[in-house]
Amino acid sequence: MVTQPAIRVDRIEKSFPPARSGWRAFLQPFEKPSVPALAGLSFEVREGESVALLGANGAGKSTLLRILATLLLPTHGHAYVSGHETVRDSREVRRRLGYHAGTDHGFYARLTGRENLLFFGRLNQLSSAAATQRIATLAEQFHLAEFLDRQVRTLSSGTVQRLSLARALLHQPRVLLLDEPTRSLDAIAAAEFRRFLKSAVLRNGETSLLFASHTLAEVELLATRVAVLHAGRLLACDTISALKRSTGSATLEEVFLRLTGHPPDFSPEDSAQ
Amino acid sequence: MIRLIEELWLFFRRDLIIARTYRTLFVMEIVEAFLGAALFYYVSRFVDSPQLEHALPQGGTYFAFALVGYVFLDYLNAALDTFDRSLEEARDSGTLEHLLVTQTSLPVFIIGSAFYPFLSTTLRIAVYFGWGAAFFGFPVHGANWLAVFAILVVSLLAFSGLGILSSSYLLLFKRGNPAKWILLGVSSIVSGMLFPVSILPDWLQFVARLNPVTYALDAMRAAILSGSGIIAIWRPLVALLLFAAVLLPLSGVVFTWALKRTKATGTLTHR
Repeated sequence: MVTQPAIRVDRIEKSFPPARSGWRAFLQPFEKPSVPALAGLSFEVREGESVALLGANGAGKSTLLRILATLLLPTHGHAYVSGHETVRDSREVRRRLGYHAGTDHGFYARLTGRENLLFFGRLNQLSSAAATQRIATLAEQFHLAEFLDRQVRTLSSGTVQRLSLARALLHQPRVLLLDEPTRSLDAIAAAEFRRFLKSAVLRNGETSLLFASHTLAEVELLATRVAVLHAGRLLACDTISALKRSTGSATLEEVFLRLTGHPPDFSPEDSAQ
Repeated sequence: MIRLIEELWLFFRRDLIIARTYRTLFVMEIVEAFLGAALFYYVSRFVDSPQLEHALPQGGTYFAFALVGYVFLDYLNAALDTFDRSLEEARDSGTLEHLLVTQTSLPVFIIGSAFYPFLSTTLRIAVYFGWGAAFFGFPVHGANWLAVFAILVVSLLAFSGLGILSSSYLLLFKRGNPAKWILLGVSSIVSGMLFPVSILPDWLQFVARLNPVTYALDAMRAAILSGSGIIAIWRPLVALLLFAAVLLPLSGVVFTWALKRTKATGTLTHR
């Protein structure tokens, strides 16, 4: 029996209209997209797999994740989550995915953690009883129980990140999309967050994960495969060991530098010259 | 349908819980309503004369006339502002993206977020009238409350269309509320808010007749100050319903298009 891939990206292209300021900003919604962000990207994420998107700033990682999360429309091509197309079938897609971005938390600051989770859980079609039960389970898994009844504005960044991941998992999505999940965390909180992700989410093998990260240690810890993006193009997508083999590299950093056209002894000063 | 009602209730409950954390603001609004009612009472004492009372469409004091006008414009303000504000707040707090990846649609979020502001504005109207009746002789005994309720509901429908159009504008251009600017700006002069339309020059009276706020205010004053029933005010009610019948579907189409456009341009969550 052939199983449906958790995520399928089929020749996705995305371009944005040029940024405008002053009175020309009024024209932007009507302008043709001319600034490319993704250029014909195709790959799959299998059920239970964890794939990392690795690329420099502007490589198209967030754009791809936002297309999959139905927050953006592709210019050309199609993306599927559990067989459902993100544009035509966006509601079914959202039913199956959880989305968490490390850059903003998006909670109601004056509601407690529990009230926030209950609100978002109910919007994801959970009954009140099911949402309450699920919040209790996740609070235990993510060590959130003691913070749940405090207003979100009083919580630390690390706790809010865990709360945000709990929100993404409330409705038990088959696919989890994480956009630089540890970006705003300090080293200890980031390590703890990765440990939570590995032990509480990936261990069961039921959730497929696609995440963007600049932290190579995070990629090595969590990813079964790595998709390397550069200027909106997919340069390679394979296991870390296969990538090392095929590029003759000793480390993931070296793999990334070689694939993106930088010599292994590359330093940022070289690039600036 | 039950699911939709549940979703709308969730947004109302959210806003109610948040409002409970601002108790001081709640008390201040009640005091503010008293001060507003007192202001119009003393202005009325200064300007009231038999000639003025004779010139008012429903008779009575200038205080009653002006308080109804002022309070109704407050209601209109809420109808035009609430959709924008909920969208802007969600965008600025970062909750918009997370709402959009739930299985609840953006229109449900926009409409659901309007319930609490509308209820709180309706209560504020009651507080204004309550202060007016308790301390300044505002005539509430003869009012036809069923008709008042009908006018509020129909006005809400009519002006919500403009509010949703305005939030479409906000989605596309990120700042500004042209519907509020035009309608409230024009209405403060040509709707009979603080003075009867009859004192305006002919051409402005013509503009006033094109303005739905004029009809709503006429009907509201008739229901409160003269005790007119729904049958007696059917003309302004029908005018407002026609206004709603055109604007609500139009605003739905424009909003859907604006949402699709911002998802294409990638500016949905831009400020």
